[in-house]
Amino acid sequence: MTGLESRADMIVCQGVKKWFGDFQALRGIDMTVEEREVVVVLGPSGSGKSTLIRCINRLEVHQEGRIFVDGIELTNDLRNIEKIRSEVGMVFQQFNLFPHLTIMDNITLAPIWVRKKPRAEAEALAMELLERVGIPEQVDKYPGQLSGGQQQRVAIARALAMEPRVMLFDEPTSALDPEMIKEVLDVMKELARTGMTMIVVTHEMGFAREVADRIIFMESGEIVEEGTPEHFFTNPTEDRTKLFLSQIL
Amino acid sequence: MDEKREQLDWVAAAEVEGEKPPEVPPHGPVVWARENLFSSVGSGILTVAGLIVALGFFKGMLGYIFGADRKWDAVATNLRLYFTQAYPEDQYVRVWVAVGVAMALAGLSAAIWRANGRITGYKLGGGSFGLAGGLLTLLLLSPFSWRARLIYLLVALVFIGIGQYLRSVRPKLEVPALGVIVGTLAVLVGSLWVVPYGKHTFVDGQVQPPRPGTVAMTTKLPWTVMLLVMIVAYFVGKAVRDKVSPGLAKGLLSAGWMLLLPIDYFVILRDPALDYGQVFRVDVPIFLAFAVAGSAILWWLSSPHRGEIGRVVAGAMVIGAGVFWLAAAFGLSVRQIVRIDLVMLAVVALAAPTFAGEKAIRRKFIIGWVVILALVNYLAMMVNTPSTVDVPGSFPLGGFSLTLLVASATLMMSFPIGLILALGRTSKMPIFRLLSTTYIEVIRGVPLITILIFFKIILNLFLPDGMVLGNEMAAILGYSLFSAAYLAENVRGGLQSIRKGQYEAAAALGMSTPQTTSFIVLPQALRAVVPPLVSGVIATFKETSLLFIIGLFDFLRIGYVVVGGQTAFVGSQRENLLFVAFIYWIITFSISRSSVQLEKKLGLGER
Ligand SMILES: Nc1ncnc2c1ncn2[C@@H]1O[C@H](COP(=O)(O)OP(=O)(O)OP(=O)(O)O)[C@@H](O)[C@H]1O
Ligand SMILES: [Mg+2]
Repeated sequence: MTGLESRADMIVCQGVKKWFGDFQALRGIDMTVEEREVVVVLGPSGSGKSTLIRCINRLEVHQEGRIFVDGIELTNDLRNIEKIRSEVGMVFQQFNLFPHLTIMDNITLAPIWVRKKPRAEAEALAMELLERVGIPEQVDKYPGQLSGGQQQRVAIARALAMEPRVMLFDEPTSALDPEMIKEVLDVMKELARTGMTMIVVTHEMGFAREVADRIIFMESGEIVEEGTPEHFFTNPTEDRTKLFLSQIL
Repeated sequence: MDEKREQLDWVAAAEVEGEKPPEVPPHGPVVWARENLFSSVGSGILTVAGLIVALGFFKGMLGYIFGADRKWDAVATNLRLYFTQAYPEDQYVRVWVAVGVAMALAGLSAAIWRANGRITGYKLGGGSFGLAGGLLTLLLLSPFSWRARLIYLLVALVFIGIGQYLRSVRPKLEVPALGVIVGTLAVLVGSLWVVPYGKHTFVDGQVQPPRPGTVAMTTKLPWTVMLLVMIVAYFVGKAVRDKVSPGLAKGLLSAGWMLLLPIDYFVILRDPALDYGQVFRVDVPIFLAFAVAGSAILWWLSSPHRGEIGRVVAGAMVIGAGVFWLAAAFGLSVRQIVRIDLVMLAVVALAAPTFAGEKAIRRKFIIGWVVILALVNYLAMMVNTPSTVDVPGSFPLGGFSLTLLVASATLMMSFPIGLILALGRTSKMPIFRLLSTTYIEVIRGVPLITILIFFKIILNLFLPDGMVLGNEMAAILGYSLFSAAYLAENVRGGLQSIRKGQYEAAAALGMSTPQTTSFIVLPQALRAVVPPLVSGVIATFKETSLLFIIGLFDFLRIGYVVVGGQTAFVGSQRENLLFVAFIYWIITFSISRSSVQLEKKLGLGER
């Protein structure tokens, strides 16, 4: 990216700290994600990557520091939370589709009841999104009848149907068989090209190198190093980053 | 990976081929017996021993049932008493109208829900063989006259012929299951017109000696009409189902089923004596006032940007409605229907923000309010008007219809209460959790019969002056509160089976807790607990026989005490008990069979 035009800050974290009981999972995270930016979060298991992005839509509650999404601060005010959640889409490792609803109902449920969209409009949008993720023919099936890759693409469509301003991905391909990973990554690449703001936790280095505007490396609840993919993969400065890269590359 | 692909392809190919299994030449019964019953010496001995025990048992059973000195006349003569106790003869058409409404709903439902199951010729043939087998057992083991045996033998041979034809010539034939069911019913009803079951009647309280011939006109005519009502309703449903929106049709029918019980009982069977002057002076104006003022308030509350002030107003209304009820408890009474309407309006007002938004949605919301208001006011009016049906005692029904009424009312009331308790016990709010847990643990620690007696004796002391609950109503109330506790525990099991990811996915989409509960959690939780829920339904139905102990004239008491005590049928208690047990069994067995179907159907979508 050129980085010349000034862009609004989409997500701002200031000194975010989070404990599970006595265990500190986040030790003061400062991070800013701009509009249309794609940030990939890397780090070893247990470093707090999931915890961080789950704090951003308040699936986890941080105890110290401040988080702003599109200028609105996350507080205990319930209406703020519901507002932010409908602006922030999330894709889980385990898909978490609703097994008792058809693909169509999975996608249209929240637009109809949360966004109060007329049903016809919501269904038209759902079809459009299913085209986009490449599985319009599955619309009347149930999640259990789809392959893992197809389910994850439905999950992406379901999140997009809320017309979010930010998308969070928590290891979206980790539960998939190798031959299905590509189809999901392709959808995410396309999404990045259209200018969606994205935070992606993943172990797919190819994806990080190709798509990320910026890479954040976490360990033990801290951001150890961040920079462009080029900087990160060719001459990382921190020893811990080098160690991590040597283990996975 | 290529290898894996290939393997997969191979598996897939095998599956495609598997659709047409090679034609196995049909096994004869000899092959089947050799493979299943006499595969070794040991199993042969066991088979023979088992057969002897079964034969002895059935012979004893059937010898008893068809023995010459059995008093089955006691049952045949008293069928009316059994089913409706003393419902007056001259108003009996009301009973048939009540049944007819249910029949019409059943026919319509079959059409609207497209009951299109099919049965193969092979299966039908099996059923036919089964019937023949039953008849043969009957004629071999029962003490029948030779003439009767000959007739049974002929009928059995006909069934064997049909079975053989279906199995060997038309095994792939497909007939609609609905057709088979209606056909069977038609044969049964038709047999009332031709088979000489005999006439058994009371005239002025005196038992008449049974007369030969078919059953009385007052039995065969109404049942024929009932069957026709169902068939006609089916075709009506079929004709309109493509012209109305399926959602609307299903919604209306579901509402119809929910209303069946109160309408049948309070409106049709009780025949309330409406005072039309009072209706037009009081009831209609109250309804109109609430319809108009309520709609205006709700329209205002559901405007998209009402915000904080809307919640305050709705909250104030809840408190206001509560105050009226409290005041009533201290004697300052506002008309009961006004208080009920106020509570409803307050509750609906709380839900208003959920329906805020487009004009079309708001309009539906208002229409919903007026419809519900009309229904509740109508039913309340009917409930509060005295019955004109002239029966001994305070309750128009007894026998099987009382049993059915108590069981269905209990199920309908305990279901919502149980749901709320289950949600309360799993909720994050400590107050709700404590209340629900205490309630469930207290109720489950007390025997049902204690609760029934307690409600019968104590309840009327707690009620406001002038309000009296009959014993039957007290029983329904106590029984509902009891069943609700068990139902809550079953549902809780389902709630706990929902994975955390489901809640997180719903939350991440911005859904509120009530939305998550009603669209995501409950539908899945209830599916998961269908088997225990059905056991609960069966238990509830059977345990209505405890009404006997608190002195109500339920099915069991009619059979054991009333019919068994008639001078004409002294000593017929065993026959009556057997009959009662048989009817209970038929009903519970059908419930459990249909639940198997339901499970299959629900399993489809999940997998
Ligand atoms: N609900 C919880 N209760 C207690 N500890 C938790 C909880 N969730 C996470 N943790 C702990 O917090 C730390 C960070 O967890 P997190 O899931 O964020 O790691 P991660 O970087 O996403 O790891 P992975 O790559 O394995 O997903 C871990 O040590 C984990 O054990
Ligand atoms: Mg993680």
